[in-house]
Amino acid sequence: MEERSTSSTAVSTPGFLRRCVFSTDHKVVGLQYFFLSFAAVLIGTVLSLLMRIHLVWPTVSLPFFGTIKPENYLAFLTMHGTLMVFFVLSTVPQSGFGNYFLPLQLGVSEMAFPKLNAAGFWTTLLSFLILIAAFFVPGGASGAGWTQYPPLSAIANSGPGQALGTDLWLVSMGLFCVASVMGAINFITTTLKMRTPGMDLMRMPLTCWTWFVTAILSLLAFSVLLAAVILLLLDRNAGTAFFVPAGLIVSGKAVAQTGGSPLLWQHLFWFFGHPEVYIAILPGMGVTSHVLSVFSRKPVFGYRAMVWAIVAIGFLGFLVWGHHMFVSGMNPYAAFAFSALTTAIAVPSAIKTFNWIGTIWDGRIRFTTPLLFSVGFVSLFITGGLTGPLLAQPALDIYLHDTYFVVAHFHLIMAMAGLFAIFAATHFWFPKMFGRMMNERLGALHFWITFLGSYAIFMPMHLLGTAGHPRRYSELTGVQYVAAMAPLQKFVTVAAIITMSGQIIFLVNFFWSMFKGPTAPANPWECTTLEWTLPSPTPAGGFGEHVPMVNRGAYEYSAPGAETDYLMQDAPGS
Amino acid sequence: MPITSGHETETPPKLGGGGPGKISRRRGYGGDDGDHGRPDDFSSSRSRLRRYRVGVALFSVCVTMLFLGIGSAYVVTQGMGPWNHEAGSRVSIWRPLLLPYRQLWLNSLLLIASSVTLEFARRGMLKKQEFSTMGIRPPRFKTEFPWLAITVVFGLGFLAGQFLVWNTLRHQGVYLGGAASGSFFYTLTGLHAVHLAGGLAVLLYALCGDWTGRKFESQQIAVDATGWYWHFMALLWFGIFALLHFARG
Repeated sequence: MEERSTSSTAVSTPGFLRRCVFSTDHKVVGLQYFFLSFAAVLIGTVLSLLMRIHLVWPTVSLPFFGTIKPENYLAFLTMHGTLMVFFVLSTVPQSGFGNYFLPLQLGVSEMAFPKLNAAGFWTTLLSFLILIAAFFVPGGASGAGWTQYPPLSAIANSGPGQALGTDLWLVSMGLFCVASVMGAINFITTTLKMRTPGMDLMRMPLTCWTWFVTAILSLLAFSVLLAAVILLLLDRNAGTAFFVPAGLIVSGKAVAQTGGSPLLWQHLFWFFGHPEVYIAILPGMGVTSHVLSVFSRKPVFGYRAMVWAIVAIGFLGFLVWGHHMFVSGMNPYAAFAFSALTTAIAVPSAIKTFNWIGTIWDGRIRFTTPLLFSVGFVSLFITGGLTGPLLAQPALDIYLHDTYFVVAHFHLIMAMAGLFAIFAATHFWFPKMFGRMMNERLGALHFWITFLGSYAIFMPMHLLGTAGHPRRYSELTGVQYVAAMAPLQKFVTVAAIITMSGQIIFLVNFFWSMFKGPTAPANPWECTTLEWTLPSPTPAGGFGEHVPMVNRGAYEYSAPGAETDYLMQDAPGS
Repeated sequence: MPITSGHETETPPKLGGGGPGKISRRRGYGGDDGDHGRPDDFSSSRSRLRRYRVGVALFSVCVTMLFLGIGSAYVVTQGMGPWNHEAGSRVSIWRPLLLPYRQLWLNSLLLIASSVTLEFARRGMLKKQEFSTMGIRPPRFKTEFPWLAITVVFGLGFLAGQFLVWNTLRHQGVYLGGAASGSFFYTLTGLHAVHLAGGLAVLLYALCGDWTGRKFESQQIAVDATGWYWHFMALLWFGIFALLHFARG
């Protein structure tokens, strides 16, 4: 705290609004993204809890809400997916931690375009508010799922949430695309043009590599989603028929528009949607590599292989969108090509997994909370990843696609693994962000509850799926084979309630530590990267006048002959 | 045994993250600009310019993706139609447009002309900025002002021309909410016009720089970045024109 006050007076203190709200400082923008996602994750979690309760006790009347009607369930489903995918998984790891730590790890004190960066955040916030506003308009929020397949999403009278709610969803997503592109341009330019002397591309921490590749994916993918969103908005409001097929009858009335193709939306959406999966998980992979190396006191195993695996995953991510559409009646030859390419992603993914295990193998492991969460990430990534090659087979996917098996797959590999990386990053960088340490004991307790809880929630869903339990339905009454699975559904809901209650430990730990935690030293974890050369919390001016000179790679732990077991990147001599 | 820099005596063990003792291949060091924020330095304004150029290049990639998305939708929709089992082929339901070529070519010429005039302004300002950072003469905006003003007029002319094209099509009975060919025409040309208008706004910002007290350097960067963007917009326009012509059905 002492250091912060001295440094901020040195850089002439502006008012609170300029300093913490309308700031163009990358650290402030990063924290703004972080807390925006905090709000989003709380809403998204409550929505999933409501859905789980409804699935098991459909008639229960909730306080302040009443019973959940089918259209409410679909709206919850849509909003849970949208909030979690866009405003949590794509926002915290990339825009939150990326904004805060990319410049610092590269040894500079600001982004390439600070104003554009701040504009990106305000656009994201606007997008978030518009999305949430959909709950409060007539008909409520959209119920077409986070993928918004037309014609359901293209026709306003096709359901209660399909009127204004869906328009708001589309406007919100359009703005989110614009904001993501702003951020991506900033990240790429910063990485290419702003690195401190000596910071070769191949000396960058793997976190920077993943932020960089993720930014490239965002740049290419979000533009295509924007195109799709514009076309769908025109379909809904200007009478075009890009996605509306001929002869469509909705609610007993013939639709005037004709001649479009709903499949076109699926192609455009998934051309974005699959890279989006990697946009969500790549920064998590970077954090995992980084944290595993730090707490094993060993260099990352196969740094170059890791870099090329990141690039390969990013590249292949653009060639596999068709595997989301195996059930759309696509040409089997096309399905085969998409299947083969999808299976190919297993190779770089396996390289990464192998290298993570290689990194901690025989290391002098320090069992801190960030390490626990990173090991948890690897575990969930393997478990969720193993079902990937299964779903990549069209014949299997046609059976499993609309069942809980897919829910289990993407929640484990994207949602849970992504969340574990976020927790690891939060515990790891908390000292640098807030100048205090989080409680390790509470951290470990939170880890074990969340880790066991994740498996308890999602493992049974594989069984539900293979037994043919369809997903997306709010209630399936009178279906014999589904009724037999009720006990398993109940188990999942109970596990979900316990796991979500366990998150209170994290909230308490986070906010208590923010104000009352023990003061953090500059480099509590004994890391090598440049952000740890600064005092904790990071002073407002970053490196200020000082230009760090980088002399070595990012993972020099236990270097033979060195005096300490780690060599800072900017330590003299090499 | 400390790690030494003596490469002849022993090679240091290879470690993660590129390993120790590696020297940057580039001249200077890592980052392409060897400069750290001395505002009036030659390399500083140069590096700021380069940064903006990278930004514009990236933005152009993103706009390209947007139009590729819609363009591929155009091609796919054009080839769609119900399957005729007896003939064993698709029945086309695409309604080709009668494009007002004369108007479109006139607009294209305006856009090319504006690209050329903007290039004059861009090169002139770039040279002045470099002279000024060398301390040879203070930068003045006067000579480039006309080129920039002409560009803005041509740009507005292009937009007006596009508006007239839409008007022509409207009189033919082609509407945004009608047949797919018309929807795509208005969407593609409309989005292009919106993007061009964005470039126009930045040019106006640079033009008004003298009155709003902007530094010459900021004006120069605005013109340079917009210059590249503008050329890209012209290229994109010909891409759209080619698509509309060759895939008109």
